[in-house]
Amino acid sequence: MQEKTREQEEALGIIWHFRERKIKDFDRIIGKLKEISPGICDCLVEKGFIEIKDKTIELTPSGEKIAYNITRRHRLAERLLHDVLEINKEEIDQSACEFEHILSDEVTDSICTLLGHPKFCPHNSPIPAGECCTKAKEELESIVVSLDKLKSGDTARIAYISILEHQRLHKLLSLGIIPGKILHLHQTEPAFVIKVDETQIALDKDFAKNIYLRRST
Amino acid sequence: MERFKTILLVGNPNVGKSVIFNKLTGKDVTVSNYPGTTVDISSGIGSFEKEKYRVLDSPGMNSLISYSEDEEITKNLLKERPDLVIQIGDAKNLRRALHLFFELTEIEMPMILCLNMSDEAKERGIRTDAGILEELLGIPVVATVAITGEGINNLKLRIKDARIPKKIVTKKDGALAFDIYEKEIDGIVSRVQKRVGEIKPFLADRLGNWAMKPFPGYVILIAVLCLMYIFLGKFAARICVGFLEELFEKYINPFLYQSITSIIPAPFIVDALSGEYGVFTMAIRYSFAIIFPIVFCFFVFFGILEDSGYLPRLCILLDKAFRLIGLNGKAVLPMVLGLGCGAMAVISTRILSTKKERLIAVLLLSLAIPCSAQLGIIFGILSGISFRALLIWLFVVIFLLILVGHFSEKVLSGAKTPFLLEVPPIRIPSVENILMKTRMRLVWYLREVIPFFVLATFILFLINRFNILSLIEWIFSPIVVNWLCLPARLAEVFIVGFLRRDYGAAGLYVLAKDGLLTPSQIVVSLVVLTLFVPCFAQFLVLNREVGIKKAFFIFFFTLSCSFFFGGILNFFLKIIRIV
Ligand SMILES: Nc1nc2c(ncn2[C@@H]2O[C@H](COP(=O)(O)OP(=O)(O)OP(=O)(O)O)[C@@H](O)[C@H]2O)c(=O)[nH]1
Ligand SMILES: [Mg+2]
Ligand SMILES: [Zn+2]
Ligand SMILES: [Zn+2]
Ligand SMILES: [Zn+2]
Repeated sequence: MQEKTREQEEALGIIWHFRERKIKDFDRIIGKLKEISPGICDCLVEKGFIEIKDKTIELTPSGEKIAYNITRRHRLAERLLHDVLEINKEEIDQSACEFEHILSDEVTDSICTLLGHPKFCPHNSPIPAGECCTKAKEELESIVVSLDKLKSGDTARIAYISILEHQRLHKLLSLGIIPGKILHLHQTEPAFVIKVDETQIALDKDFAKNIYLRRST
Repeated sequence: MERFKTILLVGNPNVGKSVIFNKLTGKDVTVSNYPGTTVDISSGIGSFEKEKYRVLDSPGMNSLISYSEDEEITKNLLKERPDLVIQIGDAKNLRRALHLFFELTEIEMPMILCLNMSDEAKERGIRTDAGILEELLGIPVVATVAITGEGINNLKLRIKDARIPKKIVTKKDGALAFDIYEKEIDGIVSRVQKRVGEIKPFLADRLGNWAMKPFPGYVILIAVLCLMYIFLGKFAARICVGFLEELFEKYINPFLYQSITSIIPAPFIVDALSGEYGVFTMAIRYSFAIIFPIVFCFFVFFGILEDSGYLPRLCILLDKAFRLIGLNGKAVLPMVLGLGCGAMAVISTRILSTKKERLIAVLLLSLAIPCSAQLGIIFGILSGISFRALLIWLFVVIFLLILVGHFSEKVLSGAKTPFLLEVPPIRIPSVENILMKTRMRLVWYLREVIPFFVLATFILFLINRFNILSLIEWIFSPIVVNWLCLPARLAEVFIVGFLRRDYGAAGLYVLAKDGLLTPSQIVVSLVVLTLFVPCFAQFLVLNREVGIKKAFFIFFFTLSCSFFFGGILNFFLKIIRIV
């Protein structure tokens, strides 16, 4: 991996932020970069973090990765300062700039988890997702499953019904199969038999795979 | 005609509307333990508090947004604006009753809410406060146990108090309305209903759960079929029929012959009344000695199946199998009903949701489902030969059912409808209700059958008398004798079969008993007669439900199927000689 300095990280973060706003113009970005240090741009090109073509700045894959991580750390740090330490929005940028360079990946992910994998920083810019976020999303999805994935004897709460055809949806609803109700699955073969309140209903897989349940206890 | 105020009974399926209708009007409409028993309007007169009312029973529905023809009927009844609507609800399922109630409030008619099945609610520890509910909804609320009559008097007394319900929610469209209803329902239910104690599953519930699992569901199904075979084939068609036949042969027929000859000396009339093809010696004897005991036993057995709640569980068990023939489990109901009477079953196909399904169902009903008397006679005849003969007959009929069903599913266009069925709790059948249903159906059946039998007998008598019978036998002989290898005499069985298949079967029963047929001939003729044309009553209903063109198509289709496959079977039986 290429050596990278604090300043280079900072500069790549700036380029990322411009790109979020769809700006790649060399002329518009260079001013901000020069505030960090005058020769930083050449330095980034030399290290292979960016390329300059037709007066636009493009991140290379290695530059992209650094920019991604630095932005994630910066914005998570902002969230932490803002939500936990209750420092106001105007002052957090400065302190976040200190944190972003010292946080390890591990610490970043645990902060992310602690904060509940936030999607936006206090200034409403998106926080790039880390590994921890993807994992959490998968877990959440595995809690909500369709009826045909349950085993007989299972009990779960109806989360939602994804039937587009109005008639069929209405038919289920009018039988009392309503989001929020507890559903008990009696059997799955040869047809699904469920019980909601005092109503026992048999239905086939076509219906079952469109009824989603939350598998908590 | 005097114009009475009309009361319309509406409510979710299987909540006891028909029981209450019977209690209010003194009528005997059919009550069974599965949703979709009532598929047509029944009307009766009841007088409460010295005023007379016309009371209407309607098919059950869960929502005013309807999907099948039976639900449509109730909607149209509501459009005619009856003077009063009594909504029957299931006390243990208050939420669903309220959902329908909210939809009904849109129509702004005077209403009463009757919470039926309070006994079952109590058993399950559900207590409902009718007083508070009455206040919240703004209409009289009465708790009843329809089958014992508890609360019915109170219901009659409250009819005069009917009110247009408060508008608790105003109409919004579609799913939105649903959410609003649900919120309101939550609020109401939490105020009026309490749950006390847990419910333990009864043995009946456990049996009900077994019946819909592949194992032991199929074992239970086979046991039920065997029971039916023994009860119908051995007990009814052998023992009872044997006894009654002897009674007729030894005592009644000779006695009638004697007395008629002594009263009316004209031999032509004597023959017409009590000769070989006499109205008494044949039509009346067949009706009372053969049809009566079989149909009686059949309807007792069938009533028990209906009232226990076994049939919906059978629908579940057979859902996958019915997919093969383009239907789903719901179609099991009309098919099983067809074993009782084909004509009634054709009407009950209204519970199916698409035209395609209805068409396949009525075709198969006409083709391969023998109705009660015929089934009993078939069982009776076959039980006299061998169990293997029964299996061959069963195999051929089921094979054709699948073949024709599968073929029509491929030919007819239309989407598959998914299977959705409410399963009622297992209930202990009441002897009273079963006897009532049996009596009603028996009277209806005999009334339907006897005129046809008399007519058919008289026709036979005439063509025999004028020697046309042998002519007809000769005309039929290429099919009957050459193709099916049956005695020429069987032509007469098929001729009366055109009027009613069960009469043909009864004729066959006598021929078989007299030893005029070999076992394999019996099997072939039974298969032909099973597949034979729908009986006259069924044809009329077909005409009404699917139109004259399709009715005629079904007529000729079944006719050609019966002779064609009868011949093929004959051919096979000759080669392999397994009977
Ligand atoms: N335990 C109990 N069973 C009842 C009561 N009322 C009716 N039943 C039973 O419930 C079943 C359904 O009754 P029906 O009168 O046929 O119901 P329905 O509402 O007319 O049904 P559909 O015509 O199919 O909509 C029958 O088996 C009745 O014996 C009651 O108050 N208590
Ligand atoms: Mg009914
Ligand atoms: Zn910084
Ligand atoms: Zn920020
Ligand atoms: Zn995360």
